[in-house]
Amino acid sequence: MPDVLETSLTAVPANGVGGSLADGPSAPPAAAESPAFRHSRLRRLTDRWAHLAFLTCSLLVVGLIGGILFFLASRGLAAFWPAAGNTGRALSLSEVFLSADWSPSSDRFGILPFIAGSLGVTGLALLIAAPTGTLTAVFIAKMAPPWMRNLMRQVMDLLVGIPSVVYGIFGLTVVLPLVSHTWLADAPASGFAVSAVILAVMIVPTIVSLSTDAFESLPSSLDEGAQALGSSRWQAIWHVLIPAARPRLLTAAVLGLGRAIGEAMAVQMVIGNNPQWIALMRESTDRAPFLRALFTPAATLTTELVQELPNTAAGSTWNNVLFAMGLLLYLLTMVLILATRRLGRGKEA
Amino acid sequence: MLIPTVPETKPIKLSVRNMAFSYGQKKVLDGLSMDIHAERVTAIIGPSGCGKSTFLKCFNRIHEVSSAVNVSGDMKIDGVDIYRGGIDEVDLRRRVGMVFQKPNPFPKSIYENVAFGPRLFGVSDRTTLDGLVEDALRKAALWDEVKDRLKESATGMSGGQQQRLCIARALAVNPEVLLMDEPCSALDPIATAKIEDLITELKESLTIVIVTHNMQQAARVSDYTAFFWLGKLVEMDLTERIFTTPRVQMTEDYITGRFG
Amino acid sequence: MRAMPVFRRSRSSKLVDRLMRGVLWSIAILFVVVLILFVGAILKQGWPVLNLSFLTKMPETLDAGGGIKPQIFNSIYLVVLSLGLSLPVGLGAGVYMAEYAGKGRTLNFLRLCIETLAATPSIVLALFGMIVFVQAMGWSFSIRSGALTLALLNIPVITRVTEVSLLGVPRELKEASYGLGATKLQTILKVALPYAATGILTGLVLTAGRAFGESAILVFTAGTNASAHFPDFRLTVPGETLSVHLWYVTSDGTLPDAREIAAGTAAVMIIVLLSLNLLVRLVDRIIRRRTR
Repeated sequence: MPDVLETSLTAVPANGVGGSLADGPSAPPAAAESPAFRHSRLRRLTDRWAHLAFLTCSLLVVGLIGGILFFLASRGLAAFWPAAGNTGRALSLSEVFLSADWSPSSDRFGILPFIAGSLGVTGLALLIAAPTGTLTAVFIAKMAPPWMRNLMRQVMDLLVGIPSVVYGIFGLTVVLPLVSHTWLADAPASGFAVSAVILAVMIVPTIVSLSTDAFESLPSSLDEGAQALGSSRWQAIWHVLIPAARPRLLTAAVLGLGRAIGEAMAVQMVIGNNPQWIALMRESTDRAPFLRALFTPAATLTTELVQELPNTAAGSTWNNVLFAMGLLLYLLTMVLILATRRLGRGKEA
Repeated sequence: MLIPTVPETKPIKLSVRNMAFSYGQKKVLDGLSMDIHAERVTAIIGPSGCGKSTFLKCFNRIHEVSSAVNVSGDMKIDGVDIYRGGIDEVDLRRRVGMVFQKPNPFPKSIYENVAFGPRLFGVSDRTTLDGLVEDALRKAALWDEVKDRLKESATGMSGGQQQRLCIARALAVNPEVLLMDEPCSALDPIATAKIEDLITELKESLTIVIVTHNMQQAARVSDYTAFFWLGKLVEMDLTERIFTTPRVQMTEDYITGRFG
Repeated sequence: MRAMPVFRRSRSSKLVDRLMRGVLWSIAILFVVVLILFVGAILKQGWPVLNLSFLTKMPETLDAGGGIKPQIFNSIYLVVLSLGLSLPVGLGAGVYMAEYAGKGRTLNFLRLCIETLAATPSIVLALFGMIVFVQAMGWSFSIRSGALTLALLNIPVITRVTEVSLLGVPRELKEASYGLGATKLQTILKVALPYAATGILTGLVLTAGRAFGESAILVFTAGTNASAHFPDFRLTVPGETLSVHLWYVTSDGTLPDAREIAAGTAAVMIIVLLSLNLLVRLVDRIIRRRTR
């Protein structure tokens, strides 16, 4: 293919077919007998094939979205509607989604603890990351001197590049020992608090980068207009810039949330992996309730998948429920992405 | 330099002496001196890039928002130095309002746009705010057009209305000086005429400095005209004299359209 | 007209401004400190373990003193394979979106798909890879299962980078090419892509870094064992990478020196990623100097 292109390109000026600017890619009929015509037909053919190839690549991506949904559904839905060859029994939707009782060995598969765990830990992480990330972004875009702006960009680039397992090992070997056996936690401090802090650091770069773009794309006349009226630096940021950038700031937070809810390894290494965390939290009464909530070993959708998937046989009820949890995560991702679309449309209106 | 010598009854509001402005290493304005009288309209004309907009922005120090700049010489408001007289820049910007080249209403309601300034200075009482908003909109000749849709978004207005809203927004904090940076360059002739009428009304109580590339506009609305060229003040005089009997050849060449 | 109130800047607004400036600076500095502490702690923990024998020895299964030689190899091998698999698709889809899709529903829909794929958690991709490659194709935990699934992670990133880089090509440049009689394909291959190459290349390095650090996908597709041969280029053997190794020794706990090995592995990964980052910066600077 490259050969054809090479010759056709060199042949064109030699025959004067494409020589004039007005001619464009198609050859005039007068040149019908010249070799350049053959080339141009060939060229048009390769062009069409190339178009098709590029289109195929795009369709592959579209197909992937559907393929992931199909395969995850085929296994996940088998928990409720078992296919032939499955060893498991059919569960009802309510005993999976509305029950907090997870004891696979006694045939009970309530995944509420994991849903609650995922929501709890990501909510907490977002509570830390969204405000600090947005403020860091406004700092980078509207306040920091150039050297600090550069430094912050590099810091965020590095933070986003650090692998989850390294975040996990940092949490495990540095953060956990720091808070374990203190007034915060009487035992190893696994649980929501440490996981959420680690997660927050992991998603801050996403939020910062998208929010910085949002602030930088605001017309500078807004900022000037506010300050010309006598706004202080902060008043202009708080009363004009943040409201004006709000749709994109929310989009940034939602994408951060998506990253947090899907993160598996780092959280798995520090959260303690205890599916019975709700019961444990209720039972122990030796500490203040909020400390119990923050430092009781817990589990989430992703951590439970990492923890248990290797130990279950394909086709068993247990295995199917785990895939249903994966399916739930995937559907959540789609909902979040559609939500960002909605937010984006709100901006244009 | 060339300061008009006609009898003037109005006091000097802004005075500039030997002022220079540089942006990084680059000198943009040099050796400027002029007096601007209260309740008069002073127009600044000159080819693009002559520093006229920069000069305007020195009066409310708004250029400090986005970049490091250096101003030397004296710039005084009511005899107090703007840069070294211990004036708080936020207070200065309250006293010296500004209208920009392109209308820049905030993406908020019409009401909230006008109430923005008073709120900044701690006015929160609803009736006081309502009164201030109505007064400012009336002064900007916009009240009758928008009084029934104060809650609607300001970004849905026409360009001319948006610019008058920006004027109302600036007037709501009772400024002493109004700086206008080519306020009509983005507007059609009808909207432009409305703004020009407004300028003539507003000068009853305000000092107005207007930068414009439109010489007819300068001739129509201003009492004084200053001609800038390459960062220097070439000539300043009563507007009618500048446009009839300029003393400097270059001024005549510019206003007759021989360059720029 | 009513009387104007006296507008004076309140003390509190000035105070709040000072305070918030302080808060913003502190938050920013906090993140700098977090990064320094983070990298510092990882390197400090790993430093005593890092030596030539750690990097060049085979791992142990039960005893102390194992190395990470095959894991280093597998990491590089899998990154290269997955990039090789995802590059054509990502480039093709990126070219299609930038040059063929036009502006409308098609482009919007494609963008939606790319965004969704980019936001899909790697654990979900892992499940997909496990169902399709490990189980349905019967490839079990192997380099090929891992590489194919890892490619899914890379595709949206490469597509996006390609699209953005191509959109940055000046229109005049493309028009000049058409004006000389070049076809669309020739224009893309000979004018647009070379112009966008630096942007795409930078994106590729970052994608490589991300694939290098990925673990969730590989635990469930490439497995947690490394081949006993070295170097083992076979696509059918399990291929535990550095990141998977780090996780596995930490959570498995059969090795007496699991802590040290994890610390050493983390340090190696941080060093590799810092070097990649530096490389991107360096290349970027050289290119910028040349174009200036």
